[in-house]
Amino acid sequence: MALALGLGKSTHTTANWSPDPPVTSTDSITYTTVRDVQPGEELCIFYGHNLWFKPSDKMEKQVEESVEDGWGGLSHISASEEEGQPYRNPFSDGSRDEVVPEEDLPFTRFKLPPEEETPDLIRTVDSWVVDVPDARHINTLIKWLKQAQLETPDVAHLKRIRKNLQTGETTLLLCLSPQNDPTGPPALPDSLGLPPCYKTTVPASSALTLPSLALKSALWPTMYTPKRKDEVEAWTRGKAAWAWDAMSTTVQTAREGTLLKNELPIAAHIPAPYDGPPLTVSFAAHDTRSTTSHPLRHAAINVIRKLADYHASNDSTRSVQLDTGSAPSSLLDPAAAREDNGSNYLLTGQTIFLTHEPCIMCSMALLHSRVKEVFYLYPSPSTGGCGSLTCLPTLKGVNHRFSICTWSDFSSLRLDETPNHGDAHTFGLRLDGEIDA
Amino acid sequence: MDVHTKWMQEAMKMAEEALEAGEVPVGCVFIRDDHIIAKARNRTNQLRNATRHAELEAIDTILSDKELTPQMTTYPLNSTTLYVTVEPCIMCASALRQMGIKEVYYGCGNERFGGCGSVLGVNQGLPHPAHPPYKATGGYCREEAIMILRRFYVTENTNAPNPRSKANRVLKTEIAPVFTTEG
Repeated sequence: MALALGLGKSTHTTANWSPDPPVTSTDSITYTTVRDVQPGEELCIFYGHNLWFKPSDKMEKQVEESVEDGWGGLSHISASEEEGQPYRNPFSDGSRDEVVPEEDLPFTRFKLPPEEETPDLIRTVDSWVVDVPDARHINTLIKWLKQAQLETPDVAHLKRIRKNLQTGETTLLLCLSPQNDPTGPPALPDSLGLPPCYKTTVPASSALTLPSLALKSALWPTMYTPKRKDEVEAWTRGKAAWAWDAMSTTVQTAREGTLLKNELPIAAHIPAPYDGPPLTVSFAAHDTRSTTSHPLRHAAINVIRKLADYHASNDSTRSVQLDTGSAPSSLLDPAAAREDNGSNYLLTGQTIFLTHEPCIMCSMALLHSRVKEVFYLYPSPSTGGCGSLTCLPTLKGVNHRFSICTWSDFSSLRLDETPNHGDAHTFGLRLDGEIDA
Repeated sequence: MDVHTKWMQEAMKMAEEALEAGEVPVGCVFIRDDHIIAKARNRTNQLRNATRHAELEAIDTILSDKELTPQMTTYPLNSTTLYVTVEPCIMCASALRQMGIKEVYYGCGNERFGGCGSVLGVNQGLPHPAHPPYKATGGYCREEAIMILRRFYVTENTNAPNPRSKANRVLKTEIAPVFTTEG
C-alpha cells in the first residue's frame, strides 16, 4: 500500500501553492511500479526533476490554468526531454559495476599539495623513544609494547626500531607525544635497567614517494606506502550514480530553502553510504540563517546537528532498555560496543555533499566530525576552508584528513547561471563572495 | 587579581564542571558591560556531537535570549568579550569572527586545532572579505588550564575513536614555558 504523503500529497494539494488548494476530481491516486516490489522495500515516487514549487505570489496565474486539468495539478510539469535538456542521472543505466574512467566522473578530485618532498614540507610529530643498549632486550620490549597497549594505529606508519649503523645503537619507539597531549612518557619495565626515555621528532605519516621516504627515514625509519588506498579508489557507474543522486538532492534542498523560505541557496546532504548497510538514514539540511536569525546556522552545521540528534535519540532508547533490565545487544557484543566508541565523531566513513565549499567554521566542524569525503559544487574563493582560502585537512597539526572533490558536471544538474526563461527550477546557486557558506 | 584573571577563574569553573561530566575540560564565559552574560562548557560527549564546543553553546544561549539579543544585527557580539580556558579551535575562531566578537582572552594554546595562531590565525591573520579581525591573547590561568586537561587525559577518553589505554601514563606536573604568544 502506498500512502500519498510528502510530495505525493503536496502535489495533490499544494503544488499550485494556492491558499485554497485545488479540489481534485478523484478520491484516489494510482501509482504503478515499473518492476516487482519485494516485501519490506521502500517505495519512492519520482515526479521528474522539473517539479518545483514557486512562491504563491508568482503562481496565481498558473493555479487558474491548472485547476481542472484532470492530472491532479501535474500537467504544468513538462517532461525534461521536451525541453531538449537532459535532466536525469547520467549514470543510471549500464552496468553498475563498470568502472568509470577518471575523466568521465562528474567531479574532480582536489589535488592535495605536493607530497612531502622537501624537508620543510614534512609533517612531524613528537614521540617518546628509548635507547636499548642491550640488543637482547629488544624482543622482550616488543612483547611489552603489546602488553602495555602501545601498538596503536597512530604509529603504524613508522618502524618500531631504529638502528644507527655507525654507532650500533638501537632505539625503540614507544608512543607518539602530540604537543597538546599532556601525558608523560610510558612507565618502562624496571627490570631491564633502561636509560630514561626522551622525545624525538618523527614523521606524522608514511612516505608516498621515494624522495619523501629518504627525508622521512632520516628522522625515523618510516613505512613506504606508494599506493594509498584512497588514491586509487575506482568509481563504478553505480557509485557515480549514487553521487549524482546525492548532489541532485543537495541542489534540490538548497532550492527548497531559497524558494520557500528565502534562505541563502546553500545546502548540505549526508546520503546513506554507497557501500553501507541498507536502511541507513540520510540527512539533508539547508542554510537557516534567515529564519532562525542566527548567523551560524549554516547548512553543514545544521546537517551535522540533525545527525547528532538522530543518534542521541537512539541512545536514549537504549538507556531506557537498560533501565528495564534487558541489556541491548551492543553492550554484550564487544564488536558493537567498539562501534559505539567515537560515535560522537559522527561522520566517520561518511561523505557529505554541499552546494558550496564550506566556510572555515563548517570545514573545521566536518574535520572534528571525522568526515571521510567532501563534495561541493561551487568553490568559495575568499571564504572557503576546503581548498580556497585555506585547506584545513592539509594544515600541519590537525589530526584528521579528508578528501575533497569539486563537482564539475553542472549541465546534467541544470545549474544554469541565469534563470532559463523565468524557469525557477534551473537557476544557479551562486553566492556573493563575502558570504560564508 | 586583575580583571582578566577574575573572568578566567569563572571560565575555569565551567571547565571543572566539564571534567566532572566526563567532557574534555574546556569552559568559557562571555562578558558584556562588566557582567557575565553567558557561561558554557564542552558538551561534545553528552550531545554526541564533536562540534558542540563551549563557545558555540554559549553563543546559542546569547542569541536565544531576547534580552541579550533584542534584535539581530550583523555583529551581535561586537561589544562582548570572551574568556575561554583553551585557545578557540579553528571552527570556534571562525564562528567568533562571523559573530563580530570584540576580543578574546584564553588560557593555554592548542597545537592541534588552535584557530587563534597555533594552527591557523583565523582571528586576524587569515583575511576575510567582510568580517573584521579580533585580538586574541593567551596566557591567562594557562597552567591551570593545562593541568585540568592533563587530569582529563590521564584518564582514558573512551569517546575517542581508538581509545588508548593510559593505564601506564603518569600525570606530568612540569609545564613548559610559552614559546609562542598570541596569534
